[in-house]
Amino acid sequence: MTYLVCYSPHKDDIGAIDLACQFARSEHDTVHALTVVPRGWETAVAGDTDRDFEQWAAQEGAASAAEALEVLARHTDVVSTATWVAGRSVPQAVCEQVDALGASLIVVGSGENGPRGYVTVTSKTDRMLHSAAVPVAIAPRGYRPVPDSRITRVTMGFRDDDASWTLLDLVASICARIGASLRLVTFAVRPRRMVVSAMRDDESDIFAQWKSQAQAGLDEAVTHLRDQGLVDVEAVLAQGRSWGGAMDSVEWGREDVLVVGSSSTHKLAQVFLGSSAAKILRNSTVPVIVVP
Amino acid sequence: MAGTLVAQLLRRKPIVFQHHPHQGEELPRNLTTFQLMMFGVGATVGTGIFFVLGEAVPKAGPAVLISFMIAGFAAGLSALCYAELASAIPVSGSTYSYAYHALGEIVAVIIAGCVLLEYGVATGAVAVGWSGYFNELLHETIGWQLPDALSVSPIPGTDHVPTGGIINLPAVVLVLLCMLLLIRGASESAKINAIMVMIKLTVLALFSVIGFSAFNADHFSNFFAKGFTGVSAAAGTIFFSFIGLDAVATAGEEVKDPQKALPRAIIGALSIVSGIYLAVAGAGLAAKPASFFADKDNADAGLALILKEITGNEVWSTILAAGAVISIFSVTLVTLYGQTRILFAVGRDGLISKKFLEVNQRTMTPTFNTVVVSIVIALIGGFVPADYLWDTVSIGTLMAFSVVAIGIMVLRRTHPELERPFKVPGYPVTPILTVAACLYIMYGLAAITWVIFLIWIVLCIAFYWLYGMRNATLNHYTDPEEIAEPSGRRRDLEDERG
Repeated sequence: MTYLVCYSPHKDDIGAIDLACQFARSEHDTVHALTVVPRGWETAVAGDTDRDFEQWAAQEGAASAAEALEVLARHTDVVSTATWVAGRSVPQAVCEQVDALGASLIVVGSGENGPRGYVTVTSKTDRMLHSAAVPVAIAPRGYRPVPDSRITRVTMGFRDDDASWTLLDLVASICARIGASLRLVTFAVRPRRMVVSAMRDDESDIFAQWKSQAQAGLDEAVTHLRDQGLVDVEAVLAQGRSWGGAMDSVEWGREDVLVVGSSSTHKLAQVFLGSSAAKILRNSTVPVIVVP
Repeated sequence: MAGTLVAQLLRRKPIVFQHHPHQGEELPRNLTTFQLMMFGVGATVGTGIFFVLGEAVPKAGPAVLISFMIAGFAAGLSALCYAELASAIPVSGSTYSYAYHALGEIVAVIIAGCVLLEYGVATGAVAVGWSGYFNELLHETIGWQLPDALSVSPIPGTDHVPTGGIINLPAVVLVLLCMLLLIRGASESAKINAIMVMIKLTVLALFSVIGFSAFNADHFSNFFAKGFTGVSAAAGTIFFSFIGLDAVATAGEEVKDPQKALPRAIIGALSIVSGIYLAVAGAGLAAKPASFFADKDNADAGLALILKEITGNEVWSTILAAGAVISIFSVTLVTLYGQTRILFAVGRDGLISKKFLEVNQRTMTPTFNTVVVSIVIALIGGFVPADYLWDTVSIGTLMAFSVVAIGIMVLRRTHPELERPFKVPGYPVTPILTVAACLYIMYGLAAITWVIFLIWIVLCIAFYWLYGMRNATLNHYTDPEEIAEPSGRRRDLEDERG
């Protein structure tokens, strides 16, 4: 198994490579950097322009792969490779390469349009989130981990439903393998109130009940994990008026990674990123792994 | 034994606030008097005025205008009394919660019964009214409408004429749609609410202007044809359309100086609402004789039909029907929401199953609660004719308000020390007048309404006897935290001082 990191010569994807190496170091795994260049038109009779274009693309690809190798070379303890492929669509080519290489995770950067230090989902990443069969990790914009660091703590966005419980065991087993501690966080964001209501502060009552249920779910999950032998577990109910506020109320370190499930188990719902997951992504300052 | 029973029936829920207040979580809303007034107008207009004429005019004749004034007067006084109770008991919730804290368990159970009628049956009634306008809109836009079998309840109305209906399908569908929205966690924002209020006011203004253009003074002759019995009977039905004014009272803690702002907002909102209602009723009577309203065929989508007959043109009635369909949808959503939250509060006190408390982890809504409530209300909307519904809503609400008015007098005597940011002006005349006005209107309601109401209250008490009494949270809580209120504005003030 390997980690497939998407590298583009025209974007700042160094953070993504650093993140992939951080993962690889934690799991003693390899990293493969992939550049996708545009594929030329398939014409019966290739004219000069078409051949020129293909040559140009090949040169770009080779240069980019070489560049990626240079960046990867900084991580001397990680075994890495870099290649390029031609494809009509970056996400599609990446997904095909996941199968070809048997990759277990796709690592991407955050693009350059979002705020620095935050995760931004680019249009290509969005497409991968919807169609990739493996988890997708997104590095925040300008991500620079401590050199030679590993992942020491995994934070999992937990909600007391079937999807979360399934993900929980998977995450717990990875944590046990890489020796990271596990932190479960349920984000408690105050619901909006109905403006015309016969009840005073009714949403406070609902919110209080929701929180006590959520806390019970967290406690149950922690007990479950401890029973499984995972010692280093903690649970946090992060509260806020908005998703950003709830995310900010949790302490985040430089060797943290956040794991969220993309949505419910329903087949149709899998096509879409859950609304909570999307809000968590937007407000995260640490790398996020979205598990399909 | 008897001593402990009486003690349980009369015991009051202590006011405890949660130990770990999460600072900064409360949403401060510093409303101005004007905003609060508009809030009241928005919450009130729309519950009944679109349908109530067909029900009230046959009872009172042209004197229905007087009935509107009586109902408005009672509603205004009730809202003032309600505001004092709400301000004296600074907890979250509605009449039910205040009664439990102030007046004791058995009174709270009775109030819960009344409030369930107020919101639950009101939702059903509004859905039935919506169905009429929806069908009218279908007829005017695509030229087809649902047959009676699918749009009328199978139970004959108070006139005992067979209806030819099987189920009121649009009403059922509307309630179920609102259920889906509420389960998904939909809430009506201030902006949407403002738009809905504008739509309601616009179509009602449209109706009034066109209605008065067809003024015929003859329609007002024989003004008191039905006598004062008719006037008070109609006032009972009409009271339904003033429900929502009490929303102002619950928002009392969100204005800076409740003692000044609340009465102004309540009276201001009441004047505007009454003005609109009188204009609509006046315009209706100006345009059509009282006999027009008595005709069953004109009961559904009554206002739209009047417009069509006056102008001979379907444009205006289509606009009115469309406005009604959109805005009544939002009224249904809000009342259904209110109903689920009241049951949530009752469930928290252990008087009904704790299942009603389960909040969905994803959507943060009480799913089981919403589904059960919606199904019951859909059945009411689908199978019970509106004639029975409106009066039942009114009697429940009037009874709740009477108890509130009596309650504040009791509280003034038993707990004079309670801090009351708002005190009813003109005490003790106002609460006494409130009780008198409510009783007068209730007295005018039909015997069948009383029978339905009393059976319902007996059922509520029986259910309390069999279930609530044993399972009440107050029986077995060990830690005050278990019954603590999650919020309360006054608690925040204490925190600041402390």
